[in-house]
Parts: sequence; structure tokens; C-alpha cells
Amino acid sequence: MAIKIKINGQWHEFEPGRDIEPAMTLSWLLREKIGLTGLKVACDEGACGACTVLMDGKAVLSCMTLAARAHGHEILTIEGLPEDDPLIRAFADQCEPGYGTALQCGFCTPGFVMTAKALLNENPKPAPGEIKEGLSGNICRCGCYPGIARAVLRASHFGCEPDGKSAVRASAESAPKGCRP
Amino acid sequence: MTRTPRPYTPRVARKFIGGYRPRIDALEKAGGKAQFVDDLTLKSRFPGMLYAKVLRSPYAHARIKSIDASRAGQLPGVKAVLTCKDPEVSELLPTSAGWTDGVDTVSYERMMWPHLRDRRVLGDHACWVTDEVGAVVAAESERIAEEALEAIKVEWEILPFVLDPLEAMKPGAPVIHPEIAPRNILPKDAVGGKDVFVDKGDADKGFAEADVVVEAVSVHHNATQSSLDNWCCLVDWKSDKLTVLSNSYEADQSRMHISQMLKVPINKVRVISSYVGGQFGRGDTGDQPFFLFTALLSKKTGRPVKFRHTRRESFHDSRQPAIYTGKAGAKKDGTITTMYFKAIGNSGAYADHTMFALKFAPTEITASALAHIPNVRMESYGVYTNKLPACMMRGVGNSQFNLIFGHVVDMLAEKLSMDPIALALKNFGHQWGGLPDKSLERVLREGAGRIGWRAKRHKPGAGPVYDRVKKRGVGFSFHPGWHAEWQEARRGEIRVRITVNPDCSVTLDAPTVETGTGSSTCNVLGCAEALGFLGIGPGDIVSPHTVDTETGLKDCVQTDSAVSYLQSEVIACAAREVKHRLQEKAAKLMKARPEELDIADGRVYRKAAAGIGMTVRDVFRRGDMLPVVVEMGRPPNAEKTGVPYIANFAEVEVDTSTGKVQVLKLVVINDCGTVMYASGAEAQQIGGQVTGVGEALTEEIIYDEATGVPLNFNWIDYRIPTMADMPDIEPVLLEVWRGAGEYGACGVGEGTVTCTPRAVLNAVYNAIGARIDEIPLKPEKVLKALGLVTE
Repeated sequence: MAIKIKINGQWHEFEPGRDIEPAMTLSWLLREKIGLTGLKVACDEGACGACTVLMDGKAVLSCMTLAARAHGHEILTIEGLPEDDPLIRAFADQCEPGYGTALQCGFCTPGFVMTAKALLNENPKPAPGEIKEGLSGNICRCGCYPGIARAVLRASHFGCEPDGKSAVRASAESAPKGCRP
Repeated sequence: MTRTPRPYTPRVARKFIGGYRPRIDALEKAGGKAQFVDDLTLKSRFPGMLYAKVLRSPYAHARIKSIDASRAGQLPGVKAVLTCKDPEVSELLPTSAGWTDGVDTVSYERMMWPHLRDRRVLGDHACWVTDEVGAVVAAESERIAEEALEAIKVEWEILPFVLDPLEAMKPGAPVIHPEIAPRNILPKDAVGGKDVFVDKGDADKGFAEADVVVEAVSVHHNATQSSLDNWCCLVDWKSDKLTVLSNSYEADQSRMHISQMLKVPINKVRVISSYVGGQFGRGDTGDQPFFLFTALLSKKTGRPVKFRHTRRESFHDSRQPAIYTGKAGAKKDGTITTMYFKAIGNSGAYADHTMFALKFAPTEITASALAHIPNVRMESYGVYTNKLPACMMRGVGNSQFNLIFGHVVDMLAEKLSMDPIALALKNFGHQWGGLPDKSLERVLREGAGRIGWRAKRHKPGAGPVYDRVKKRGVGFSFHPGWHAEWQEARRGEIRVRITVNPDCSVTLDAPTVETGTGSSTCNVLGCAEALGFLGIGPGDIVSPHTVDTETGLKDCVQTDSAVSYLQSEVIACAAREVKHRLQEKAAKLMKARPEELDIADGRVYRKAAAGIGMTVRDVFRRGDMLPVVVEMGRPPNAEKTGVPYIANFAEVEVDTSTGKVQVLKLVVINDCGTVMYASGAEAQQIGGQVTGVGEALTEEIIYDEATGVPLNFNWIDYRIPTMADMPDIEPVLLEVWRGAGEYGACGVGEGTVTCTPRAVLNAVYNAIGARIDEIPLKPEKVLKALGLVTE
């Protein structure tokens, strides 16, 4: 029986034995077989969150998920988000004084964006404490946690407004003096 | 905790430099489009690619008596096996993983520690558990490569080992590199000097004459860089040419290393570095043996070979643990007359840059912070043990030194009944300025104000008690900043190239490996600032993030936190030359002499009659349409401008029933000279605290003392702080001191880590009134200090 996985909106079929082996992880399948390199494998043991993708809208660590386990499910990787996704924009644009940027080396960033996506799916207007708790399974060694928290807060408060006002504009409007996004 | 961020006010208002703005690579990275080396080397991109795996020592100290890899070579899917018995391996020269101090490119002959060539590529001598020794295989998959390693039969001679440097120094201890260090103590070296490497005035006399003397110990441990992007490389050796994709941060040095070790001409080695997922000093200068054995496998198979570390294997280098003793003597009025520091550093299995940390960094500090102390003595000993090798790590040597320095200052202030801020201002500055030092004064005043020093600082252990068992305290530590431009003279010439196209779009070639520091954004901002006369902005400038030794200029090595301004200084010079060339071009068309013309907002005009002129675009269009290309190189400005100061202030809460320390707030203050890129500088100030707090509280490599096996080479047991573990951090950017050149900036990134552990320790002392000499500050140490538990 073929293993069917919907990846970024498109169904893929994998033949067990040829495409998928029982011990193959979802991260391996997505990166090495499909070439979706947005997710990163940094620890390969569920400690850092860099490989986070969404399965049916919820965050999963793809290095801890067997590829076969995704059969019949919908996987969303960062490549599946639109370019103007409010969260991506908010991560990119964070420069509010006092919080630094939301990324530096950028290696952990896709994992943080996807974890934040899942958080906002469940809780569209999280309080700062809820953001802290929701993102505490991810490691950013560059240490951009305050910038990340700020970006998520902004995306949640400005990103989903019905007039389509993006987080970029929202952040520009509310940015304190001195910020030139 | 709420606060209103206070953006800094620039000393000189500039259009682009110093702004709060997104990074130039932010969108690419946020959208997951940035490609790191592991992404660029997928098998789908290199269909014939093989994977390399190297044999690792299961023993802390052992020698390979015999090795039989015949069965491994016969496994299906295994394409090559190399062992220490093969001549192409055994004939490789002994080497060091620290050829340079990380700023310039040097040859094998000129390597920094020629007397410490303690590494053999795939040698037969294993010096720590995990050491890469004996054999390497190339196979169709990593799994097959691992199976092949298991099929290699090794007969080991297990040797006695030693983990503790104090034990290793004793007569009769197991000797690790007898040919280099017969007693495990690294020999004296030309770079760092004698064991007593600073001896100013007369320290003994100074102590004898002092009114007050304090003595302290501080122990810094084996923290590790933990870049998320594990070491990875791909080598493709086709006919006589070798191409390397790597995440080393020093492309030009990597090329030199590979060229010389494998005896291939420099122009036949091409090293390409894309985005790198965090560096933090990892791997010293990139002179890693694995580049060489991966290359040899590619040569042998004729196929591209990829080698990457697992997370466990990426525990590959660390900060030098150091046991420091410090002593200070002062007059009753708080004038410090004498200081003495002694370090015993644990270099681990290989020396690498141990002596850089133990001697070079403290020597720099002597010339700056300790310049006004008449009697100073420092001595250091680097010691081989069978632990993880120690190398460069963010704030090399300074973190360890600050841990004792800030300790002694705090203790001395207490004994003198002085505020440590007053004591610091009375004594520390730099050689080229008087006391009190303006930079230090402002840094400490800002820190004190923002942490609430006056209100919160109380007598040790004598503050209020919260929730029946919790006590709070505040503390700080300070350090001379680095690096001003004059401290980068060793780097040699820095080259950049600016190309102004006929449409006034610009290509900037200012190569430096993009490890996340923000210096590439600084370069683009600096370029836009310097080319302001073209009427362009950062968006009009393209600056490739990839460093390629074949097509680009030499990369400015991503070290010393200095790249953020070093290249911009040269860009400013190059931009002046661009202007000059454009004036020459326009002069022909405008029938004027170049010096009669000026350029502003993209328009060339006569100085005497601003109304007469033409746009720069028209100069190109009516002229030869050739872009203006200016390539320029110059060494850093060696003018001695002194150094600025940095400090961290911490507020902590200690649960006296459990020993748990929680950092409530950190204020991070950097006098930057000039803030090159405010958001990036803040990100470094804030970000460095993850390493600083981790080193202070939770991060530690734990070994099984009976076997030397490291027990926590993973991020579950080696605990890096997450968002939930981090306190509120207030970044404070200042421009008080000024260096040489257009901007007169200094490095920011590394120093942000340096003062954190000591600031936390001093705050803990203020909270509980008991001093703890060792980090990480785990609860059991706090309970022991409080007398609630014994050994």
C-alpha cells in the first residue's frame, strides 16, 4: 500500500521499501527526498525544535516523527507559507528598539516560525507569557528570544486583520521613534 | 516586567549607519530560503555523492596496535576505506587546528603554534573519547558508512588517562603528548611569552606594602559553542582540482590549510562558504583534519564526498576551562597598588588556541584596564588532559579572566567598605587616558541607573526575604571592550570592491562568511552611507553572501567582533575614490576640471554654479557606459586610541531552600564608539546572554570520571537556556569613546558574553552573603555555600 502524505497542499505517494523505510524520519523524507530544506536538522533527537513542521495544523518535531506516521496527514513546511505570510514578515521586520532582531544566523528561524504558526492556530492572540511558554521548546543559540517574542506578538495583533493590513505596515506605524523598517 | 525601551541617540546623525532596521538577509532567512551547507549538498544536487564517517575513539586515551579494515571495504555500498596505515594518510604532516589567531591567513611554516603541532590526521593515537582516529570510510549512505566502521577490527592499547589539569601536572601522571609536553604542561611559546608573562613593577613588594589584600579563586568550565549548524563539508576532487563547500568561517585560511597539507597549488583549491548557522569561535581557524580526510576520500573515489557531524559529534570544541587565582592589594583610600593573577587552563586533548586564551587576552587587558595599576604579575599554564579540546569561543580568554577580575574587585570593595563602582572608577582606565575613564564612568552609571543599584544593593545577604525563602541581590562586572581598529593591525590588508553600474545600482564585494553576526548588513549600510552622493540607499546595493575563494576577494575573517566596522572603514575610502573617478568621467563631458565638480544626490554639478550639471546616470549614458570599479585594500588604522568599556548588571533571586538561582534582569551596556547598526548590535547584546546565562547557570559538560566518557553530548542534558529560562534583558548602546577613522567603532558581539557569569555571581553573593567560586551555579553549589548540604 502506498503511503500518501499531503505536503504543502499537494498529495505525494511513496512506495514503502523504495521511497520510505520503516525507520525513516519525516525530517529525512522532507529534506533528503523532497528537497524541502527550510526545516533544519540540528540535534536529530527532539531537543531543539529546528525541524518543526505542522501536521494537521499542529507543530511536530519532524526528526522525532516517522515518515510513515504522516500517512493520510497534511504536512505544512515553511515553504508552504506564502511569501507575505504575516509571521514571516514579522520575524524579518523586527527591529523595535530594545528587543534586537528576531534572527541572526537564521538556522533556527524556520523552526521558530512554524512553532509560532501552530501557537497562533491554537491561540490567535497569545499573551507574552503564553508566547514564552509556547516557544520554549526551540533553541536559538544566537539568543534572539526577545525579538522573536516581539515578532510573534506583532503578527498576532496586526497580522490577521481583515483588511489585509500586513504586519510590516502595522509595525512601521506603531514603531517607536528611531525605527526605520 | 514592563519597561519602555530607550533607543540610543547617535553622536553623529547619519542616514543609514547606526539605524534601527531589519537585517539585509532577514526575509530570506525568515522564509526558510537561506541555504546552509547541509542544504546545498543534498544528494539530489550531487547525484554521485558519497558520505564519509570517521572512526572515533571509545577510550579517553589509547593507541591503535593493529587495524584491519578488509571486511569493511567489502561491504556493499562501501566505496573507499582509508586507515592510518595508508601512505597518503601517514605521510601527512603533523598539524595544529590553530594555525592563525583567526584574523589573517598564514602558512604551515608560519602557523601560530609551530611547537604545538599535536594533531595527526587520522593518527593512531586517541587522546579523548570521540577523537577522530585510525580510519575513515566513504559509502553510498551514512548508514552503510556506519556499518562499515563497525566492521573495522581495531586492537587498542588502552592507556592511562587524566581529566583534571591539577592531576595532570603532577609527576607520574599519564603523559598525553610526551614529545611536546613531557609533563603535560604546554611549553613556553614565542607568542604568549614565558609562564610569568606579565611582570610590571614589583608585585611582592606591592602586596607587602598594601593596607588591604584580598585573594580569590574562580573556576570556569568546559562550555561549548553549540552552533545549531553542525560541522559539514563536501569535497569534490576532480582531476587536479579540489572544490570544498564548508561552514568554516575562514575560507581563505581553509584554502591555505588544504593546499599546504595536501600539496595542491592554491589556485587548484576552491573553498565556498554560504550562510553559516552560528559560529561563536567554533573550530578555531577551520584547520580541521576532517577537511583533509574527506578530500582524500574524494580523490580516491573520484566522487564528491560529504562529511557532517551528528549533534553528538559537534561537541567538538569548547571554551578553555580555567582555574584562576587572583589577588589584589590596595591602600585604605581604595587605590589599587598590586594585582596578581595565575591561571591553570585545561587545554583538553589538543593545544589549539589554549595559550591565546591564557596569555594573549590577559596581556591585552593589562595594557588597557590595568594600565594604572603599578604592580601587576600574571602567570599561566596550559595543561593537556584527555578531555574535549578547548579552542576559540566567543570572548576567548576574556570570559575566564573576567570571572576572577570581577571577583577580586567585588571582594576588595567589600573589604574597603567602598561601592565597587567607585573602586572601579578610581583604578581602571587605559594606557592612553587618565582616571576616571569617561567610557567606564558612563557605562557604570547607565548600568547602575537601569538596574536600580542604589535602591537594590544592600549588605551581602541582608536584603528583604520574599516568599519566606527567596533572597534577591544585584551585582555587576565590567571589562575593557574589544576590538578597536588598532587592535586589528595583525589582520593585515582588508580588501573591498565597489562596482557602480551605469544605472547607479551597486555591487559590493566585501566578503566575510555570514555567520549571523550582522556584519554583512553593516557593510551594506556603510556602503550606502559612503555612496550617499549617488542618492542611493541600501536597497540599491547587492552584496553576495557567499564567499568563494576563486571568484571573490579574500574574506575578512569573522572574528574579534570587528568585521562590523573594519570593512566599512575601507568601503568609506573606496567610496571616495569612486567619487573621484566619477568626477573625472564627468569632467570630460562637462568640459571642466574634476576638482571643479562635486556630486550630491546622484547629480554632478559645478561647485561654482550648482545649477549647471548632469545626473550621474547621464554621465554613464553619454560616456563609455563602463561601470566604475574600485578595488581597495588597506591595513587597519594603527593609531592608538585606547579602548572603550563594557559592563553587565544583574539582578538575581535565590531560593535558599532549593538553591535555585533565577536571573531576574540583565542590563548589558556597550560603549561602541559608533553604533554601526543598532538592531544588530542590540541583537548581539541580548543574544549573548543566552550563552552568558547558560555558562553561568546550566551549561556544563559532564564526564564519567572512571572512564573519561562525556555523558551529555546532547541538548537535553547540556542545557542551553530557552525563551522561558531567560530574564528581561535591557540592551544599552553608548557612544562615549571614539576610535580612529571614519566611524571609530569597536567590536560588540563577543564582549556581551564576557561579564555575564561574574555579574550573576556577584549578584548571588549580594543576595545570600556567601561566595561561590565555580560556575555553572547549580543548586547544589548554592546549598553548599549556604551550609545546607555538605560534600
